Amino acid sequence: MKSIAACAAALLSLISPIVTANTNVAAPSVSKVTLPATFKPPQVFKNANLVHVISLEKNFAKEQINVVVENDSKEPQDEYFLPFTSQQMERVGGFEVKDRKDSSLTGFVVEAVEYDPLSDIQYYRIRLPAPLPPKAQQTIGISFHYLQALAPLPAAIEQTDKQYLVYSFSAYCPSIYTTVKQKTEVKLPGSDIPEYTKIAGSGDSGAKLTYGPFPEVPAGAVSPVKVRYEFTKPVSHVTLLERDVEVSHWGGNIAFEERYTLYNQGANLSTLFNRVKWAQSQYFNPNSYALKEMKFPLRIGSTDAYFTDAIGNVSTSRFRSNKKEASLEIKPRYPIFGGWKYPFTIGWNADAKYFLRQKTGDSYILNIPFLEGPKQPEGFGYEQVQVRVLLPEGAANVKFHTSIPESSITDVVVDQQKTYLDTIGRTVLTIKARNLHDDFRDRDLIISYDYTIAASLRKPLVVFGSMMSLFVGIWLLSKVDVKLSSK
Amino acid sequence: MAVATASDPSPMQVLADFGKSKSLRTLLRVLILCFIAGAAVSSRLFSVIRFESIIHEFDPWFNFRATKYLVANGFYDFWDWFDDRTWHPLGRVTGGTLYPGLMVTSGAIYHALRALTIPVDIRNICVLLAPAFSGLTAFAAYLLTNEMTTNTSAGLLAAAFMGITPGYISRSVAGSYDNEAIAIFLLVFTFYLWIKALKLGSVLWGALCALFYGYMVASWGGYAFITCLVPLHAFVLICMGRYSTRLYVSYTTWYALGTLASMQIPFVGFLPVRTSEHMPALGIFGFLQLVAFIYYIRSALSGAQFKAFLFVGLGAVFGLALLALVAMTSAGYIAPWSGRFYSLWDTGYAKIHIPIIASVSEHQPTAWPAFFFDLNMLIWLFPAGVYLCFQDLKDEHVFVVVYALFGSYFAGVMVRLMLTLTPIVCVAAAMASSQLLSTFLSVKSPKAKDPGQEDVADSSSKKTKQNAGSLRSASSPYVGVYSFLSKGLVSGIMTIYLLLFVLHCTWVTSNAYSSPSVVLASRMPDGSQHIIDDYREAYQWLRQNTKEDAKIMSWWDYGYQIGGMADRPTLVDNNTWNNTHIATVGKAMSSSEEVSYPIMRQHEVDYVLVVFGGLLGYSGDDINKFLWMVRIAEGIWPDEVSERKFFTPRGEYRVDGEATETMKNSLMYKMSYYNYHTLFPPGQAQDRVRGVRLPDTGPVLNTLDEAFTSENWIIRIYKVKDLDNVGRDHAAAASFERGHKKKKATKKRGPRALRVD
Repeated sequence: MKSIAACAAALLSLISPIVTANTNVAAPSVSKVTLPATFKPPQVFKNANLVHVISLEKNFAKEQINVVVENDSKEPQDEYFLPFTSQQMERVGGFEVKDRKDSSLTGFVVEAVEYDPLSDIQYYRIRLPAPLPPKAQQTIGISFHYLQALAPLPAAIEQTDKQYLVYSFSAYCPSIYTTVKQKTEVKLPGSDIPEYTKIAGSGDSGAKLTYGPFPEVPAGAVSPVKVRYEFTKPVSHVTLLERDVEVSHWGGNIAFEERYTLYNQGANLSTLFNRVKWAQSQYFNPNSYALKEMKFPLRIGSTDAYFTDAIGNVSTSRFRSNKKEASLEIKPRYPIFGGWKYPFTIGWNADAKYFLRQKTGDSYILNIPFLEGPKQPEGFGYEQVQVRVLLPEGAANVKFHTSIPESSITDVVVDQQKTYLDTIGRTVLTIKARNLHDDFRDRDLIISYDYTIAASLRKPLVVFGSMMSLFVGIWLLSKVDVKLSSK
Repeated sequence: MAVATASDPSPMQVLADFGKSKSLRTLLRVLILCFIAGAAVSSRLFSVIRFESIIHEFDPWFNFRATKYLVANGFYDFWDWFDDRTWHPLGRVTGGTLYPGLMVTSGAIYHALRALTIPVDIRNICVLLAPAFSGLTAFAAYLLTNEMTTNTSAGLLAAAFMGITPGYISRSVAGSYDNEAIAIFLLVFTFYLWIKALKLGSVLWGALCALFYGYMVASWGGYAFITCLVPLHAFVLICMGRYSTRLYVSYTTWYALGTLASMQIPFVGFLPVRTSEHMPALGIFGFLQLVAFIYYIRSALSGAQFKAFLFVGLGAVFGLALLALVAMTSAGYIAPWSGRFYSLWDTGYAKIHIPIIASVSEHQPTAWPAFFFDLNMLIWLFPAGVYLCFQDLKDEHVFVVVYALFGSYFAGVMVRLMLTLTPIVCVAAAMASSQLLSTFLSVKSPKAKDPGQEDVADSSSKKTKQNAGSLRSASSPYVGVYSFLSKGLVSGIMTIYLLLFVLHCTWVTSNAYSSPSVVLASRMPDGSQHIIDDYREAYQWLRQNTKEDAKIMSWWDYGYQIGGMADRPTLVDNNTWNNTHIATVGKAMSSSEEVSYPIMRQHEVDYVLVVFGGLLGYSGDDINKFLWMVRIAEGIWPDEVSERKFFTPRGEYRVDGEATETMKNSLMYKMSYYNYHTLFPPGQAQDRVRGVRLPDTGPVLNTLDEAFTSENWIIRIYKVKDLDNVGRDHAAAASFERGHKKKKATKKRGPRALRVD
């Protein structure tokens, strides 16, 4: 059976290179462990007690699994596997694992497992900091989230209607281990829950749903349930965020620029946009599922903020910068309803002294936030994030550390780019990450690099030298007599 | 203030000491020219500082889009560019129907900067191209004036005038990325090269002149001005008996090389030998050969023989040439004068025959105050300068006179041609004012101590040498200005005028010529600036939230903006090459829905865009332009569209309850006022542009859906409905939707009658 599947996979990959190429684009190589296609995770653990908390308060689904794991085998074990469907694999992100009993314990490594690409079940592997001896227990808290997992129902509504979202999940927490005892809790943004799948043991109280507690459940058991709830806020989703950070030692300045490709993935308009209704609803009931404003709390000391899009400056922005705050509030040109798109660019400058520090001699440390997107009460999801840090020309020995989950980072490249009269080009550190959301804003990105004085003097000398040679060249040319005849 | 420094080299005693050295004077001149260029550039930056670095108005948006295309796809693709996103479904052979000079210039600058690894946005190059070239224009004006007079300060004055005069600024503020941005520099510089070539009789200068003429042809349709003016100058010179080999050499070099150069532009192609506008240049070229031949014959023949030859030979040649011209015109080899050209002679022509030309505001005849507005004091210094040219009538001065005459006429006919008049006004005015200043600002003239005979003779001889053509000195040799009072008075007044001129220019530039017109500015109650950005709001919405190939129908004014900002195909745009197509849109706008809907379906229109200023009081909206749509449509379909029907029986153009039925049923009216009354309490709907109260029940639209309306209602976008699913007509479907019962034809029932078979 397996071999047939493998053959089919090979055949498929032969006849449809486009399909595979596409999946590559959609899901770029996460930090992955490659295992043989026949891999089957060993049944070495048992979930003694599990509490699954699904939080739908924001416009993405945040899940927290608190589980007491017990080593069910004879040897010490340190690899705990978590199953996901391949569809979930593309949307899951922000993996963080903690020990619930001892918060000082670190060293959990989360990696996606790469094996049979056709299998519907894929795994994340959690490597415990220390192998768990037989029969020993450890309480771990696993948190992650799914982007684009919420679907509006009905998919198209009137401009002034309420928006309802649907989230499907399993009442039993998906696990490849036997779960002795478990409970699933769903937190919702409000108490308007027109429908949810009712099974034995389900109940709701206000803005909260509970499934369970359930008795022992075998490995791999699922019980699909759905909840449909009111969500009055926009489902804003950024498919690509490009964030450029340009460090200038000469200018003592750090320039930030962020380009967003923003969509509202909420319910579409069933009739076309009506300005009168919009103006009236703004007056009577400002809550809307259209995105009309974004707030960016920037680091203190930020200046010269701008907000533009493809056709120039957008005048509906406010920027306040003082000793206490630096806050950029922007309004898109039009309210962004479900299904609408609005790409835009913002940027600002900041004094380098807030971010850049000289460690020793020629060695510098740059500490910037990894993400500085808008802080919205309804949340803000990012499918792809590309952070480019342009270090000065001649910077070498670049190292970085970031506190965003490692499994979210898909690619890291250090290369060079020429701008502004560069001769060899600036050192550029590009970090690509995926499936992040605004809870991860303000996570640090710390970069250390070496930058010598000789390298910093390169550009002035080059410019001076080339100007000089230009003048000398012109002077020499003026000395040449090109007249056909002298009078 | 470079002006004042420029015009008085003498009073600075300190400078005078080492001012004698030639290199210092050169340095000063260079510095002053740099300051003038700086002033010219910076006075054009009002709009960038007030608003942002943005492309202005309408045509520049096309140039900008074309430049982006050139930069992205390279020159050869640009050359062969067929644009299927305009003039749907016809498309436009854009590469062959534009003047590429402007785009190629920006593209070259862009690539040069990229080669230096300076990452400049192409938009910023386009925005700042016109100011940058205005600095060069000032320099060209300096050179041209220097050819006219020996007084170098006149050149500096001309440069300063050229740099800041509103007549030129009107078309060259930052963001006004139009052909004129570089064309005026090329115009002035080509004239300079022509004068230089004529003076020296040099093939080199003639060839240079042809080269820049070629550049000019590549840049602006106004090149015809050079094509007509240079032959005219040559003709006048010949008629004045000033034929010389210099003229022959320079003119033939210019004409041969320049015509070849101009024919390289696909849009011009064979026009230089096939259209009437270009015939004078060709004719003078032939005429010059004849004249040269005659001069040669005269040197070889005796007087009587020569006379006979002249009469017979010349008469025959002229007759033949004229016959050939008439024959070729009637046979269609040479196109007769185009309509746009006729409208230059008869200002009423366009209004009757080509409403599309007349509908453009810049094609209207100039109002007299515009001359003062655009040129201020230069307008009265200008005749004085021309008069000075008569004083010392050399070949180049004839050019000034000819240019002045023709430029004035054309500027009077069309507002837009004020631009071509401005350079010569600056040159002539600079000559006049520098003459005045150098006469009255000289300290050295006989001082009040004792006007003795020898003193006077001494100074006046100096004077006559200096100003051979000064205002009054021509007749009597013993004239000089003695008293400090008159000197001080005249030069003081002149300084005040110059200062006022600077003030006026700054004021006009700031108030009249620095609005992007895409973005409107208003004041909030607290005095802060509030930007009304409806155009871009709607265009951005179109760009992001409609299909990539959704066809937008709008009046042609907005075609280039939709192409540039919304990036969507349009039916008609500002390149008004197809009058019928524009009339089709006009007909769709001015007819009832039943007529318009098939037209829109046939043209695959997805969205219709109208501009409505009623809420905000924005007067440049479509209802105010509506009569032009009607007129243009009527020009093609006189049976179906009638302008008269849009006026009430009393001859009023009304939009309120009293509007005519035709008006109320027209698509434009319905789209403008659809849903508008719901914004107001009952009975208070008001149109703030036309200042009228609107009826309580708004118009009903059956074939269109309102898709988007911008914040201040300036732009309204409608989606064209698809055909009804069950084959009803839209009116029936919409009335069903509204819940009306289908009206049954009321059967007339007569009294029941017994049927007997």
